[in-house]
Amino acid sequence: MTVVGRTWERLTIPGKILAVVIPLGAVLTAGLAILIAVIGGAVVQFLVDNLPLVRFVVAATIVLLMTVPSAFLIIYMEMKVIALMNLRYGPDRVGPFGSALSVVHGLKVLMKEDFTPTGADVPVFTLAPVVVYMSSVMSLLVLPFAPGLFGQDFNIGLLYFFAMGGLTVVGLLMAGWSSFNKYSLLGGLRSAAQVISYEIPLTLSVVGVILLAGTMSLNQIVLGQAGNLFDWYIWRQPLAFVVFFIAVTAEANRTPFDLTEADSEIVAGFATEYSGMRFGFFFFAEYVNVFIASGLTVAVFLGGWNAPFNWPWPVAVGLDPGSLGIGLLLLLTLGPPLAIVVLGLPFYLLNSRIRFWQALIIGFGLFNVIAVAAVLGLAFLSFDWVVGLLWFMGKTYVFVFTFVWMRGTLPRVRIDQLMGFAWKWLLPAALLNLFVTAFAILVLNR
Amino acid sequence: MTTRTPFDIPAHASTDDPRVTLDEQLGVFEPIPPYPPRTEREAEFYTLRDGEMFLNMGPQHPSTHGVLRVVLKIDGEKVVDLDPVLGYLHRGVEKLCENADYHQAICYTDPLEYISSLFCEWSPVMAFEKLLDVQVPRRAEYIRVLSGELNRIASHALFIGWFALDLGGLTPILWSFIERDEIVEMLAALTGQRMLFNYFRIGGVNGDLNHEFMSRLGTWMSKATHQINSNQALLNENEIFVRRARGLGVIDTATALQMCMTGPNLRATGVPFDIRRAHPYSIYPELDFDIPSRTEGDCLARYLLRMDEVKQSLRIIDQCLHRMPDGPVMAKLPRLIRPRPGRAYAAIEGPRGQYATYAISDGTDQPYRMRIHDPSFIHLQSVGLLTPGNLIADTMAIMASLDPIMGGVDK
Repeated sequence: MTVVGRTWERLTIPGKILAVVIPLGAVLTAGLAILIAVIGGAVVQFLVDNLPLVRFVVAATIVLLMTVPSAFLIIYMEMKVIALMNLRYGPDRVGPFGSALSVVHGLKVLMKEDFTPTGADVPVFTLAPVVVYMSSVMSLLVLPFAPGLFGQDFNIGLLYFFAMGGLTVVGLLMAGWSSFNKYSLLGGLRSAAQVISYEIPLTLSVVGVILLAGTMSLNQIVLGQAGNLFDWYIWRQPLAFVVFFIAVTAEANRTPFDLTEADSEIVAGFATEYSGMRFGFFFFAEYVNVFIASGLTVAVFLGGWNAPFNWPWPVAVGLDPGSLGIGLLLLLTLGPPLAIVVLGLPFYLLNSRIRFWQALIIGFGLFNVIAVAAVLGLAFLSFDWVVGLLWFMGKTYVFVFTFVWMRGTLPRVRIDQLMGFAWKWLLPAALLNLFVTAFAILVLNR
Repeated sequence: MTTRTPFDIPAHASTDDPRVTLDEQLGVFEPIPPYPPRTEREAEFYTLRDGEMFLNMGPQHPSTHGVLRVVLKIDGEKVVDLDPVLGYLHRGVEKLCENADYHQAICYTDPLEYISSLFCEWSPVMAFEKLLDVQVPRRAEYIRVLSGELNRIASHALFIGWFALDLGGLTPILWSFIERDEIVEMLAALTGQRMLFNYFRIGGVNGDLNHEFMSRLGTWMSKATHQINSNQALLNENEIFVRRARGLGVIDTATALQMCMTGPNLRATGVPFDIRRAHPYSIYPELDFDIPSRTEGDCLARYLLRMDEVKQSLRIIDQCLHRMPDGPVMAKLPRLIRPRPGRAYAAIEGPRGQYATYAISDGTDQPYRMRIHDPSFIHLQSVGLLTPGNLIADTMAIMASLDPIMGGVDK
């Protein structure tokens, strides 16, 4: 055996890993540096020339990556909230308060067998989950999260949104038809009937808002609601809001309109024959749809990322150190030690096994964390997109909670009641709202 | 190389079976039996008109309440015709009872209606007592009524949960399971078992009331009314629930009587027939309670009637606790009992209706013949009458509102 071979044998496992990784990294870094030196300029030039394209690609990637954690969050939220409504504990084993359970669910779904039943129309069967998932992700692209934080600001944003929502039904119909199962077929047909019926009141209910805002761009609609709570469109379009929320619940196939996957009637509807990650795509798409439905409701009727009151955002961190005089010196010299002692003292008093110097170390660590968090937090809050994102997410998750709440309490409607409700009540209400809004605009503008 | 006849292929072959070709596999999915029609009804049912198709629902379906298989003939969402296929849970209980002695027979009847087992014991025990001409001690009768009414509440609580679950509500079943679980736990303290109690004996009951049972019962009784009311408030005022259940699966009095319906399903059509009052047994004549009845005869009436019955059961339990006499809980009987040859019939009012046993003795220590009349089987007949013309979703609601237990149907 050679010397190299014997040295290799004597290395521990971390040593072996380092012995491979360090030379490899050095070579790769050198190669990358040479590559950048040679073609870097051209690449940068290309990116600068095509900035909108780059922006679009980056935004689309971020949106695609964002769907999975947000779906995980909503799934966990649903499990936990419904458990509390059912007077049980819900997930409490994996992670703190069971919060990692939905991640484990995702991994489980990935590892399961991907089964295609005999007699299925294989290409259609395989493509259906992709269509459903992609249509959800693509409608997320126009949702304005914060000032300047959106995938693309189309001037036909709302129209694009409904078009993409309509694509979902194609995927569900594909799944229902190609599975070669009667339950799947019934589920697919139900979803087609339901989504097409509810698309009409859904679209008509926002026409009033479009008339008021004068644009279909979601970003412009949100900008039009700037100001305080009473500038939101929900006060000028209350009927449209009700119609819109009911219709969007039906569009997202949520209880009480979850007839497409009614487990007590047609087993699992269109998803009966799906397993593994194909089923996972349907599952993710459902929860992404919940997020989208909530986000759209917030953007159109509840001011999007606007705060509900006139607050001087972004925060003006107006600190003038000179005005403190001698106080500044005292603050800087006495403040930190005092804070360290105050933060460390509880640990010393509450736990007899912690010595005083150990408590001081803990206090020092805590003080640093708090100081850095305060500085960074203030700095971030001075960006208006951070504030906007916080407001948007807060409002959106209120609606996500409402969807979960409805699922916990309401039974399911019947198919004829569902269709009758759409055509006999929602459609006339949406039309009435449209005519009244148009008439009011005509009279007031004259 | 053997030639294959159509009978080589099992009627419901697995799709993974390598002996079955693809075409044969695709043909297997229609639930048409592999033999020529035997009756006119079969010929009519298995002939499809234009636009109709079969939907094979069960035996593994989330909401057929066990292993019932229903072949639906549907036109779109509408159910045109329906054929229940029974026997997936058949164990030959009657025959098993005939090969066991009188004490052992009671164990076999226990799992028939497995969510109200005490009633499945009560009826054969009463029949055997009539054969033997035994006088049951009064304390034993009171304990029987007390535990029986508790079991009735548990059964009705489960019905409420199932009914709501079949209509798509997630929460009511978990709320009503709290109630049921407390009752089941206290009966476990009394009898030693949670579901299949095996508590009633010929001539009495197996063991007196104990402290744990009484303390659990007292705790539960103090909050029972509040608990039941809160469960009701979840469903009774829910617009979606009421709109789905009202006017669905209406059966009129004459038809219900023709179909031999009993129990809550008959009382929901306006006939206040209750065996506890009509053919009194045990100590029921001494107790003060009402027989609730409703006139609508639809799913909502059946649901609301069971709610009323729960309140009457609470009244009965209250009276039992106040009037409970002292004394023995078992009559004096020999270990091996050999009744004189003869026949006896005993009917009781179970949570689902008339539960009856007809026993014939030939003088040996085993019953010569034992026939069990189960209300679930009787009520399941009328599904075929009520469902056609409704939607697929209503099939579940109607089936759930009749409250059949497949253990009792298939025996």
